[in-house]
Amino acid sequence: MPLIKPVKRTDTPDVTASDSLPIADLLSMLGSELPEVRQSALSGLVEYPEAAAVLCRQFESEQDAATRDMIAVVLSRMGGAQTVEGLLPLLRSDNATLRNSVIGILKELPAEVAPHMEALLDNPDSDVRILVVNVLESLRHPKVEDWLIAVISVDAHVNVVATALDLLREVGTDAALPALGGVTTRFPDEPFIAFAVNNALKQIQSAG
Amino acid sequence: MKQVLIIDDAATVRMYHRQILEEAGFGVDEAINGIEAIEKILSKKYELLVVDVNMPKMNGYAFLQEIRSKAEVYQAPAIMVSTEAEERDRQAALQAGANFYLVKPTKPGELSSAARLLTGSAS
Repeated sequence: MPLIKPVKRTDTPDVTASDSLPIADLLSMLGSELPEVRQSALSGLVEYPEAAAVLCRQFESEQDAATRDMIAVVLSRMGGAQTVEGLLPLLRSDNATLRNSVIGILKELPAEVAPHMEALLDNPDSDVRILVVNVLESLRHPKVEDWLIAVISVDAHVNVVATALDLLREVGTDAALPALGGVTTRFPDEPFIAFAVNNALKQIQSAG
Repeated sequence: MKQVLIIDDAATVRMYHRQILEEAGFGVDEAINGIEAIEKILSKKYELLVVDVNMPKMNGYAFLQEIRSKAEVYQAPAIMVSTEAEERDRQAALQAGANFYLVKPTKPGELSSAARLLTGSAS
């Protein structure tokens, strides 16, 4: 009896040429149960900025780690306002890994994030404001110090101020000194704030 | 001297916790994320880990889950420190492998007391 190797039937599409597929086909592939098909779709979708909102939703729900990492790369390359607006709500996620991934992408998009910064620093959720201050760390925007000074001057949440103090220690100049002087008065019972203010003052004065 | 590893991406927090723990009689090393921390605990035995939650590259939950699954790693007790103060955050930390949960900003007394308790150094 001849040995016949069974041919496994599969509905896996050809995933080698997704770059040339229309966006509708790529979005359909993104719904596949197979991670390799979803990954193939992503390599084509990078050419379609209008897919940003869908990719942000997929980023939130994606269960496969490699595919999620690939979505992060695509969103970083894609950039644009739609990407930033799709990612910002994910900063409120309960999933710490997702939040950190979102911060990582936003840090790659300084020009797109900057117009949202003042509104983000006014977000009623202090956890979001802490994450936004973390984004400032690598934003390389001329207003970063101004934003940080505003945070330590007016934000009522001790951990938002603490996060801003940590960054101000690195990027602050003499312009931050008056505001730094007022922080301990606003949080007189927080030893960490006193420590962080002293640290920032020392660092800025020694660098100046 | 019992050795503590502080894992936090914020330099000011690492310095603050170092000062508290050194004043309490501990030796202290630092790591800026979970990946660097794993490298350190594979080469040195720590009696206590002080772990932040939100860190780039490998966050505190992922770090604890990773080391708790490794038989070759000394299973030091861990204090997780976080800005997140809700009960669900504390439960998530304990589920990930933490032994104690402190909300930032920590007070010197609460961190040193927890460190002494978890390392059996309570006087």
